[in-house]
Amino acid sequence: MNKISERQIYFFLACIAPVAKLIVMPARLAGYCGNDLWLPALFQFAVQSLAVFCALLLAKRGKSLYDLLADRTGTIFAKIVVLLVGAFLLFAGILPLLEQKLFVQGVFYDTLPSILSFAPFFLFLAYLCSKPLASYGRVFDLLAPIALVGLAGVLLFSVGNADYGAILPVGASGARGLLKGTAYSFAWFYDSALLLMMLGKFDYKKGMAWKGAVCYLAGGAAVVFFLVVFYGIFGGTAVNQFFAFTKTSKYFSGFTVLGRVDYLFIFLLSLASSFYTALPVSGAIESIVQAFGQKKYLPTLLSVFLAAGYFLLTYLLDFRFGDVMRAIAEQAFYLFPAFALLLPPLLLFLLIGGKHETA
Amino acid sequence: MKISGNLQKDVAAFKKLLPAEDILSFDFVSQKGLAFTVLFADPITDKELLGEQVIRPLLRYEGTPKAEDVGKKITSPEKRTESDLNKLSEEVLAGNPVLFFEGMDEAIIVGTKKVFVRAIAEPSTDVAVKGPREGFIEDIKINTSLVRRRLKTPELRMDFLNVGRRSDTFVAVCYLEGTTPQKTVDEVKQKLKEIDIDIVPDSSYLTHFLASRPYSLLKQIGTTEKPDIFCAKIAEGRVGILVDGSPIALTAPYLLVEDFQSSEDYFVPPYRATFTRVLRLLALLVAIYLPAFYIAAQLFKLQLFPIKLLMTISGSIRDIPFSPSLEMLLVLFVLEVLNEASIRMPKYVGMALSVVGALVLGETAVSAGFVSTPAIIIIAFSGIGLYAVPNLIEQTSVLRLIMLLVAGSVGTYGIILATAFLLFYLVTAENLGAPVLAPFSPMVGRDLRDSLVKYNLGSLETRPRTLKSKNKRRLKHE
Amino acid sequence: MKLHKFLKTVPMKLYLILLAVILFSFFSNDFGLVDIQKTAIILAAGVDKTEEGFSLTSQIAVPKGSDRAQGGTSSVNITTQGETVSDCVTALFGKTGWVPKLVFCDLIVLGEEAAKEDVISYLNYFLRNEYMPDNCLLAVCEGKAEKLITSTSAIDDASSLAIEKLFSDAAEKSGKVMTNTLKDFAIDYYDVGKSSYLPYVKMSPQKGAIPGGDSVGSGSAGGSGGSGGSESEEQIYTAEETALFAEGKMVGKLPAEQTLALSLLEGNVLAGTFNAKEKGKPVTLTVVRNSGGVSLDMKGAPTAKLTVDVTCRLCCRGTTAPIEDISSDAVSPEILEDAKNVLKGYIEGLWNTCKEAKCDVLELKRKLYRSSLKKYEEWEEFLLTSVRPDISADVKSMK
Repeated sequence: MNKISERQIYFFLACIAPVAKLIVMPARLAGYCGNDLWLPALFQFAVQSLAVFCALLLAKRGKSLYDLLADRTGTIFAKIVVLLVGAFLLFAGILPLLEQKLFVQGVFYDTLPSILSFAPFFLFLAYLCSKPLASYGRVFDLLAPIALVGLAGVLLFSVGNADYGAILPVGASGARGLLKGTAYSFAWFYDSALLLMMLGKFDYKKGMAWKGAVCYLAGGAAVVFFLVVFYGIFGGTAVNQFFAFTKTSKYFSGFTVLGRVDYLFIFLLSLASSFYTALPVSGAIESIVQAFGQKKYLPTLLSVFLAAGYFLLTYLLDFRFGDVMRAIAEQAFYLFPAFALLLPPLLLFLLIGGKHETA
Repeated sequence: MKISGNLQKDVAAFKKLLPAEDILSFDFVSQKGLAFTVLFADPITDKELLGEQVIRPLLRYEGTPKAEDVGKKITSPEKRTESDLNKLSEEVLAGNPVLFFEGMDEAIIVGTKKVFVRAIAEPSTDVAVKGPREGFIEDIKINTSLVRRRLKTPELRMDFLNVGRRSDTFVAVCYLEGTTPQKTVDEVKQKLKEIDIDIVPDSSYLTHFLASRPYSLLKQIGTTEKPDIFCAKIAEGRVGILVDGSPIALTAPYLLVEDFQSSEDYFVPPYRATFTRVLRLLALLVAIYLPAFYIAAQLFKLQLFPIKLLMTISGSIRDIPFSPSLEMLLVLFVLEVLNEASIRMPKYVGMALSVVGALVLGETAVSAGFVSTPAIIIIAFSGIGLYAVPNLIEQTSVLRLIMLLVAGSVGTYGIILATAFLLFYLVTAENLGAPVLAPFSPMVGRDLRDSLVKYNLGSLETRPRTLKSKNKRRLKHE
Repeated sequence: MKLHKFLKTVPMKLYLILLAVILFSFFSNDFGLVDIQKTAIILAAGVDKTEEGFSLTSQIAVPKGSDRAQGGTSSVNITTQGETVSDCVTALFGKTGWVPKLVFCDLIVLGEEAAKEDVISYLNYFLRNEYMPDNCLLAVCEGKAEKLITSTSAIDDASSLAIEKLFSDAAEKSGKVMTNTLKDFAIDYYDVGKSSYLPYVKMSPQKGAIPGGDSVGSGSAGGSGGSGGSESEEQIYTAEETALFAEGKMVGKLPAEQTLALSLLEGNVLAGTFNAKEKGKPVTLTVVRNSGGVSLDMKGAPTAKLTVDVTCRLCCRGTTAPIEDISSDAVSPEILEDAKNVLKGYIEGLWNTCKEAKCDVLELKRKLYRSSLKKYEEWEEFLLTSVRPDISADVKSMK
């Protein structure tokens, strides 16, 4: 349990990471670039897979991010960088958290429930984050088939109801729309930064970097296909369809007899997304542990503290999701490529330099 | 304390050690005038055997007062000498008489213990329509013989330990040398040796000490009443533990998937075995989740019902004085009480209880408007589902209650979160180096062949990799 | 050491606190909880325009109790008024104490007056509502929606259930009705064509019908002008006509034969019937296979190619025939020729109605937009006025 296996990393990249992109992102992309919503997503997955490739290559030395940096740049710089990545993950974790909250309120209840209904999530968050990051490995093993079955079920019920012509003409949103869509969707792509915190928790195997990138692209292909189906079903009204994966499957005609069977698959996907929501917080705790050393009860205390902080934040931002999303995804979007796209290749460059030095 | 050789003094000292009134002594003198005293525990010593194999031959004894010569005259196959009075008293308490005689600083222990055993019968749990019907009984010797009969190999090791300060219970640690990882065997033995407990009335006492998370809600040690399953598990690379006085054998490491498997799965075609395993899982899920989802849907998410069903339910619960969650809790409580009472009650009363439970409590409660019909149907279905996996009843019924409470408080999202908690708890659980949720998490591809799906026997060439057996191959093809 | 001991017992204490919280919330049962008993399950809603704003008639399902012998669904109709549709829904809560839940609302009927203004201006309430199923059926009715919703159906317990039967898959395949949902209507509205259609429901009294009505009465809240006297008389409903919408407003109506033409162009018809003539006598043909389509040819003058391909069998002849003739489904060439002309006439009628109403229900703009953005920008304004139809109908006989 102290190590994440190669397979578990692939599962994370191919099956779990894509699920988090199916809640609010499709509607936002539809808002930014209409029927071209799949193009920014395709671009994001392509460039993010390169970052994933670099992040996985960093695992070759079997060292944590902190150790890698400390070897090359000294402990102080290593601490600063690792803590910055941790802070970034905490920041990046706000959006999925609020998404999760809205999703829960919108999908699991018939009328708007009290905020306390979402409070148990923070208990879960505290419990999950108090455990070592490596314990996610087995979670990935279990969640991968769950997410896969969930997504397959939702897609199966959805594909027949889509008007695929709706994504035509390609490029209708123009360069401005596409750029907007690309820039403002960075907030949902920081999986390589999560991988950076997992360094040292898994051993590099031959070809792992490109296999991981391919897995990420495969997951991305599923998301892009989903986006096409999503726009095919909702057309111009897609911008209004938050919690996308809960919406597309309800038009399946078989439900008239059986009731909403698709909820079964939606529940599976929400189970997977609950774990993904906790991952940035676990990554942030890992960064603190790496920077200050493994101390007894430190992860537990941090997880309780951070979960309480997030709870407070959610409470304070209860009805300001729009503002928060704009602030994170539209105003502070550049933070995401900085940490999730540029940092992994930069670190790789540093590491190659280090290799020459030691040789 | 050692024997002095003075018969009167030694017997007096022994009686001081065991002053209980059921510890009797019998004095007799041989033809040559050599004085003997037999000390024995009256209720657990076979006196007829004692007379036949010890007293009668010694009455005609003409030899010297040497333990070796006296021993030759005793016709019992089980005999040995001992000079420590404390150890001798332990033997007497175990049912083996002790023979003292004048001038000798050793006593002879004779194995004429009276054994009360019930016949080997089919166990009430682990019932299989096809396959062996034998079940373990309370006597460890018979149980070990049942195991030995199935594993006629010198590799089968049975290491005996005594556990319990007062009960001094005999425990056999069974394993296949060269197959079971030595580390697992040593860890089990170490844990057993470290147990400092008064008495061990049943094997279940030991599970607490063998588990890595003793307070866990979930099982960590496997149990079985059937020797065929016990041997199969040993042959896979597990350690088996037999406890004197208990018909339930323990096996470790335990994997959750074991409880979804039945011995019968190996005697029926693989497609049937797979079907029944999946059915068991579904039944278990229904047992745990159905009442919870029913409540969550009624309170928080009506959309989970088709409209026609919703109207039926709505009509049924209209005049019920309790909230839906309280109503469900009440029905569940009644079911648990009925269940508990029907197990404990004498059989002839049990029949009457079923009638009372089914007719009076069910039918009357519905017509009186205390509870609704759908609630009874839901709980009844859940109750049936629970018994599809009999080895997990205790855990499942608690989980069902937890899910119900969570569903009544937070709704469907609570159920999802509680499930996430449970899954995370399960994936992080390990015992004796084996992850409880294997082969699903961590995923062990080859072991999946005998998990929820069951491949043909010909495809199960290797032992489960999760158990890290040294001897990997169990089936060799021509 | 003391701290270590304390921390060791923390999980157990936390479990106990958690258990206490769960038990408290379980027994108190109140975290914004609206259970089934406090809920008005709205099966259908009718929207009408009033002087002050809107009037909403909600058909609310009422359980019949546990007696299975009664069966079916009974309902109660409540009419509320307000400046917006949202006000009307809120008024429902204020007047009845029931929390209105729209999750089972499968039908929204718009009154004729309400349909004449931009319907999205008030339907957006339903589109915004996260708890409203946007796949609910949408229809326009003759007169007031309140009158339709509160009417007593001759064939079902609740009027909404009877109306929904008109919009079944089977009905749609007959070509007698063109159904639409809130979602699809909204998609059309926000699309380049800004045009859509809705079935137009009419009711008429039915004498000697099966007594089915089980509406437990109709109430009026918020000062609605009564619920009409239609409950006493059992009604049957038809939706053979189709209302056309452009920019959210009802701009025209397709009669039954043009509704069939639209269905045939969409290739939906599987068991529909239409009449042709044989020696001046009517003959009914059943469509057993249908494909159709609308395509746009922008080479030269823009032309819309409206194609219908139908395979049919003889269903009923207006003349007496020998038994050998009855045993055959084949349609004579003479009838086929006339059928072709009939269908062409229907399609032509459809084209003219759409053109008059300036309604792009044939999705010409959408087609042009999807095929060429440049041409769309060029023709956006004039496409509907300058495009010419090229109608072709092919009718084959089942062998």
